Amino acid sequence: MSQSLLLPENHTGPLLRRRFLAVAAVLLLAGTYTVLVLTHPAGLTDGLGQTVALATFAAYLAAALMLLAAVLPDLPVATLSLIPVALALNIVLGQFVGSVFIPLYLDSLGTVLVGFLAGRRAGAATGVLGTLIWSLFNPTVLPFAAGAALVGFLAGTAARFGALRRPYLAPIAGLGAGVLVGVASAPVATFVFGGTSGVGTGAVVAAFRSMGDSLLSAVTKQALISDPGDKAIVFLLAALLIYALPARLNGGFAFVRRHRVLGSRGSR
Amino acid sequence: MHQLPRTGRLHPFTVLVLAAAVVAITTAAGRWWLHTAVLAGCLLLAARAKRAGKLVRLGAVILVPAWGSHLLIHGLIDTGGGHVLAAAGPLRITTEGLVTAGQLGLRTGVLVVAGLLCSMLIDRHDLVAAVDLSSAPPQAGYLLAATLSLLPRLAQRQRAIGQAQALRGIPLAAGPRGWWRSVRLRSVPLVLSSVQDAADRSAYLAARGFPAKGAHTRLREVPDSPAQCWVRRVALGAMVLGPVALLAPTWVGQG
Amino acid sequence: MSRGNPLFEVELERFRYSGDGDDTLAGIGLSLEAGSLTVIVGDSGSGKSTLGAVLCGMLPRHDGEELEAVFEIQGQTIRHGTGKSVRIDPVGWARHVGMLPQDARHYLSGVRETVAEELAVGLENAGVPRAQMHARITALAHRLGLGELLDRDPETLSGGQERLVALAALTLDGAPVLILDEPLAGLDAAASARVAALLQQLRAEGTALVLLTRAVDGSVDGADHMLRLRAGRCESVPGEQISIPRNEVSAPDRRHSPGTAALLEFSAAELGYPGSAASAVTGLDLLVHAGECVGLAGPNGSGKSTVLKTAAGLLNLRAGVLRQGTKRGAGVGLLLQNPADQLFERTVHREVAFGLPRSTAVKIPEVLESLGLAGTGETHPYELPAAARRLVALATVLIRRPALLLLDEPTEALDAGGLEVLRAVIGKVLDRGGAVLIASHDEGFLIGVAGRIHRMQPVAQAAR
Repeated sequence: MSQSLLLPENHTGPLLRRRFLAVAAVLLLAGTYTVLVLTHPAGLTDGLGQTVALATFAAYLAAALMLLAAVLPDLPVATLSLIPVALALNIVLGQFVGSVFIPLYLDSLGTVLVGFLAGRRAGAATGVLGTLIWSLFNPTVLPFAAGAALVGFLAGTAARFGALRRPYLAPIAGLGAGVLVGVASAPVATFVFGGTSGVGTGAVVAAFRSMGDSLLSAVTKQALISDPGDKAIVFLLAALLIYALPARLNGGFAFVRRHRVLGSRGSR
Repeated sequence: MHQLPRTGRLHPFTVLVLAAAVVAITTAAGRWWLHTAVLAGCLLLAARAKRAGKLVRLGAVILVPAWGSHLLIHGLIDTGGGHVLAAAGPLRITTEGLVTAGQLGLRTGVLVVAGLLCSMLIDRHDLVAAVDLSSAPPQAGYLLAATLSLLPRLAQRQRAIGQAQALRGIPLAAGPRGWWRSVRLRSVPLVLSSVQDAADRSAYLAARGFPAKGAHTRLREVPDSPAQCWVRRVALGAMVLGPVALLAPTWVGQG
Repeated sequence: MSRGNPLFEVELERFRYSGDGDDTLAGIGLSLEAGSLTVIVGDSGSGKSTLGAVLCGMLPRHDGEELEAVFEIQGQTIRHGTGKSVRIDPVGWARHVGMLPQDARHYLSGVRETVAEELAVGLENAGVPRAQMHARITALAHRLGLGELLDRDPETLSGGQERLVALAALTLDGAPVLILDEPLAGLDAAASARVAALLQQLRAEGTALVLLTRAVDGSVDGADHMLRLRAGRCESVPGEQISIPRNEVSAPDRRHSPGTAALLEFSAAELGYPGSAASAVTGLDLLVHAGECVGLAGPNGSGKSTVLKTAAGLLNLRAGVLRQGTKRGAGVGLLLQNPADQLFERTVHREVAFGLPRSTAVKIPEVLESLGLAGTGETHPYELPAAARRLVALATVLIRRPALLLLDEPTEALDAGGLEVLRAVIGKVLDRGGAVLIASHDEGFLIGVAGRIHRMQPVAQAAR
């Protein structure tokens, strides 16, 4: 049994195919979103409405799965073993926090944590996986996989450009991420489910509609009220958690070292 | 041998594909009686597996708020419908609005109930083995398995940490500061220990050959049969072609 | 035993973690022949686990960690040096050098339903056909007497069984060199006999073993080489000069005569956890006086931890009477079995200071000093060795000067120095008129410190 002891110098895999998958996923998402916003289908429960619901569901889910297939094979084992912890934290801490403080959901803490420590691709994969697993307990989250991927992706991007070097930068980045995520996820809520999944958020949407907004713009406005605040708190909490980790642990993540994610804090 | 043959059980993918096909076709058809029939069928299947109570309970937790939301958005404030039942200020209740809310509610209901039924009928270890043996990347099965096994463990650690912190006799302040403090006291040890544990494990996971670079096998046998394989193919076809066949006439009408 | 060419040779110049000022390891040379047993003895924090990780290719993980070393393995020479990064293939390396971590659970994937499936993980990843896996696992289980464990859920195994299963998995993966970190620590007599027998068998089959240990115990009998590790530096100990202290049992400290004031009294008490119908402890009668140290002994599941948690006010009494000489909850300090549950700050000093009034916080250096933790104030608790981490948790308890000190398995992971510190701490609490209640399976330690030992039985047996 002769097995090589060293890894080959430059790691080459079927990179082209994975790049293609990722690009195709992003195009599919962007295309679906653009078509929905431009055509603005009115009916929800007629034949057209059913077509739009199924097509949106399928397109967002397919894009999320393609992203996952593109990203997973590239992730190092250190990241792969962190992801399950992050997903479980999403759920366990989300429940604890939710039971204490009502108006926030904070269910993306682990996803943001992975984005901060292991980069945007790992973050995006965590978002998709988290949604897939969470859908075993609540199937309605399934079409939101792409939105969750965006959260992880944006967290990684923010960390790369220094959002963790100062504690106050993290919530600012979270606000921005919340705006983007809210806008991107609104069509799913609108065209697949015809609204929101909670009474509180439903009341906000109803208020906007009564003022004459279309359903899509009402749902988008509601998302712009809830999401940025939620993501700002999640980003801040994740940043503080990472500051509390030992430097040797943080330093084990190539992403943290390469992009000096923690700035002078991570100099050890 | 310690692996008993488990005849009569279904391959997890069979269950998933069947559920997906039913949800897709029901949504495309958009008939209230079909939705109701599917919901009743799901409950019946759950009752056969002695899980009907659990299905109703878990389903209600998700569906009641969603239905409330539908009622608020479409039932109480409808801007389009002609048959006004009641109107006061911004409130405008119409027959059309209530019908829309009902239909959306049924659509969500079928998705939730069928999905929950799936996760109740599928053995999670079978699902993991099926994912491992499928053409999905070898990482996917581990991530699924690890998350599902970590959930109860982390919840238990969360309770242990709560006890440990209570021991230190730290007074809990009220209001946002107290909330923040309790979140920090609970979450930091949990994240610290679990992230450290993940880091400790990863080296050994790699040493045992994860993720597999070439072909990989599983000791566990997933229950399957040629008939099930055939059922999966048909259901997959129905999932795609069913909605197309049902909805294509409406596209012609619209176009 | 054949003594041919060495299977594995190492010349380790130095190793340094990223950001550290000192080398963690320096000047270590090893040469391992087939069937040999090399024992490396060192205290907690001497660099044993780091050495193990370097040998099995898990360190360095990245460019920041500096390693200068030459490995001779399977006819290949692999040279680590500054400015020259060598990327180890973890799978390829593990085929030659396997490692059993101190916490054997880390070797197990923890995601499989049965022990048999857990054992198969490495074979599955290598693509071994199912029939062949079955055959190999059955044969191995037969050889190790693990047959009855194969269908068990790995989550329900005891610590000793976990170690056996991890060793079996390591054996299945078939590396000719095995590094074992404290393979017998924390095992009861029966389990350690089984592990020791397995190790003998592996040696006889030609596997080279490296044992990392802090106490000299039964596993070192018949060692070919004995090395002592001190602050990351290695010295060879010639066979006839091996004079490493065994965990000796000292006579109990009789300076303290118990007073008359009872600090803790259970009578006819029934204890249990909320949400569980069965009681964990029934008919408990236990009296602890001021100035007295009492040991709690008993097999796993006899409710030792439950007694301590109830005394600390974490659990409510189900029936019977609990009287405390101190105010309930106050004046009682409990060191939990798992210290990680208590630690959350980013430096030792902040950890101990958390929630304290300023007047108490000035005593922190003194408490740290008394625990041998001087100089660690600005270190992250997780970067300390396991023994020191436990002492940090003890510091957070001691700083409040509890009248009644409750210790749950305090000797786990402690080396000789740590045990000495613990004895001194207990003595001090008794000196100032306090009392100590210790739950432990370490009989030697209990006999050494406790004035008397209260023995507990599992509820099912006690009821019969």
